[in-house]
Amino acid sequence: MSQRISAQRMSWGLLALSFLLLAFGLGVLALRSSQTGVTQSVLQPLAYLPWVAAVAAAAMFLQAMLLHCRVSPWLLPFSFFFASVGLVEIARLKPILFIPQLRWLLIGMAAFLVVLRCGRRIVELTSYQYMLGLSCLVLLALPLLFGTEIGGSRNWLVLGPVQVQPSEFSKILLVLFLSAYLADHEEVLTSAKHRFLLFRLPPLRFIAPLLCIWGMAILMFVVARDLGSALLFFGIAVFMTYMATGSRSYVFIALLVFVAAAAVSYALFGHVRVRFDIWLNPWADPNGMAYQVVQSLFAFGSGGVWGTGFAHGHPGLIPEVHTDFIFAAIAEELGLIGSLTLLLGYAVFFLIGIRTALSGETMERILLSAGVSVVFLLQAFIIMAGVTKFLPLTGITLPFVSYGGSSMVSSYLLLGLLAVLSQRKGGHAA
Amino acid sequence: MPSTAFFLKAVSVLFQYGMLLVLLAYLARFLRITAGEFRRERASLQQVQAAPHEAVLSVVEARESSGLLGRRYAFSDLLLIGRGEDCDIVIPDAYVSHHHAQITARGNQYVLEDLGSRNHTYVNGAEIDGRTYLTPGDIIRIGFVSLKFER
Repeated sequence: MSQRISAQRMSWGLLALSFLLLAFGLGVLALRSSQTGVTQSVLQPLAYLPWVAAVAAAAMFLQAMLLHCRVSPWLLPFSFFFASVGLVEIARLKPILFIPQLRWLLIGMAAFLVVLRCGRRIVELTSYQYMLGLSCLVLLALPLLFGTEIGGSRNWLVLGPVQVQPSEFSKILLVLFLSAYLADHEEVLTSAKHRFLLFRLPPLRFIAPLLCIWGMAILMFVVARDLGSALLFFGIAVFMTYMATGSRSYVFIALLVFVAAAAVSYALFGHVRVRFDIWLNPWADPNGMAYQVVQSLFAFGSGGVWGTGFAHGHPGLIPEVHTDFIFAAIAEELGLIGSLTLLLGYAVFFLIGIRTALSGETMERILLSAGVSVVFLLQAFIIMAGVTKFLPLTGITLPFVSYGGSSMVSSYLLLGLLAVLSQRKGGHAA
Repeated sequence: MPSTAFFLKAVSVLFQYGMLLVLLAYLARFLRITAGEFRRERASLQQVQAAPHEAVLSVVEARESSGLLGRRYAFSDLLLIGRGEDCDIVIPDAYVSHHHAQITARGNQYVLEDLGSRNHTYVNGAEIDGRTYLTPGDIIRIGFVSLKFER
């Protein structure tokens, strides 16, 4: 009992820390504009303070509600840590997007509340597994048919004034589908009968839906040039299959398929070849194709251990720094300390998700919460690895940190799912 | 006025260091949360080693004719309940399926699973959906038989 209360106190502390971070960051920016005498700055405290206050009030209300419903106390403070690091960097890099990002954060929290309210229904949705799988594929195919190309990837839908990235939302459906499907077919998939070379496989008709998703991911990768989402989808499928079956055969087969697909697309498509060559040697063309990656590496280098100090670096040189490359800006201005804290944040967040999964009661709930945790971890890993040139660069957002409406709302929807699953016995339905 | 400029500069630097301190505080909290999680994990593992797997089901309610009333069943890792002769607890009752439900040990806890029975399994009066963890003192009802779960 006392343990729970101390955890509650600590979670309020974490939330307060993220407000402190936001206040310090905005304070630095306000003082800087008053010092340099730029009066026509886009960032007017009177304009954004009401929004910041609204976000803070909404966060405190939600946290109080979560504690009342006996949901895990850590989820919201963690998302707020990520969001406040992102907010200060966005305010510094693209001041014009600061208020929109605050607005997206509010919309995200509203979405979180909705998921929390009808949480049980959403978990029940997993009974309609093939509908989930089909709607996931339809959502993926929409931008291929009606999409618009923004920033080199054909994965956007323009709905009136807002631009939506359907792949951000279809990953939620993918996790729901996979958890339902794998929980239902757990036994068939583990009791493999057919021997094929070194691998043991169940009959083809049981793995067909999985192959279908993998095929779709590769198709997206080819047609939409959306390498990041393709990698994420593929990774989710592999991780969740392994977690459900514990069989290494699937992982090996998936890796073989992946290597084959990568080799074929390297040979066939120019944009894949460019990405790969940049990764192998960015110094061949540092001012042309590899400009983004090279600038990002410079940002990491000039940041050092303690960083250049907030608002004292030059991360503005990197193209797309407020979305995909925000981690490079954080590393430059807040240094190794800032980026390590962010990395550790994602790792501990994953640990909390896995603890939720282990206390789950049915296979479906276990797989669902583990799958949601994997989505966050994998997404953060893919983009951090891309920005630091650990893996070839693939554009994808850093969950909760990057600027982006679709990304923010879908991350909060996933967080809502995790919150519903972490609700302990005896908690009131929200 | 140079003093105002100096003052503003000083506050700005203070804010900078404030951000750094907040980040360090976060780092410390994250490590503490991780340590706490691992401590709890280890504690639950040790608990498993300390307590032998042993649970008892006692029949608290049944028809006179079934001859089950008052019986106690001790088990450690698996218990199958149903009408079939191969079950650990055989309930001769038309409302009970051949393989109706089973209880399995998982970690330090016991899980009751309904094996797709026609007339469902109830714990403390509520129908279970698939699987559920049992806590000592739970009353399991299958057909006309009620069983009490104890550790």
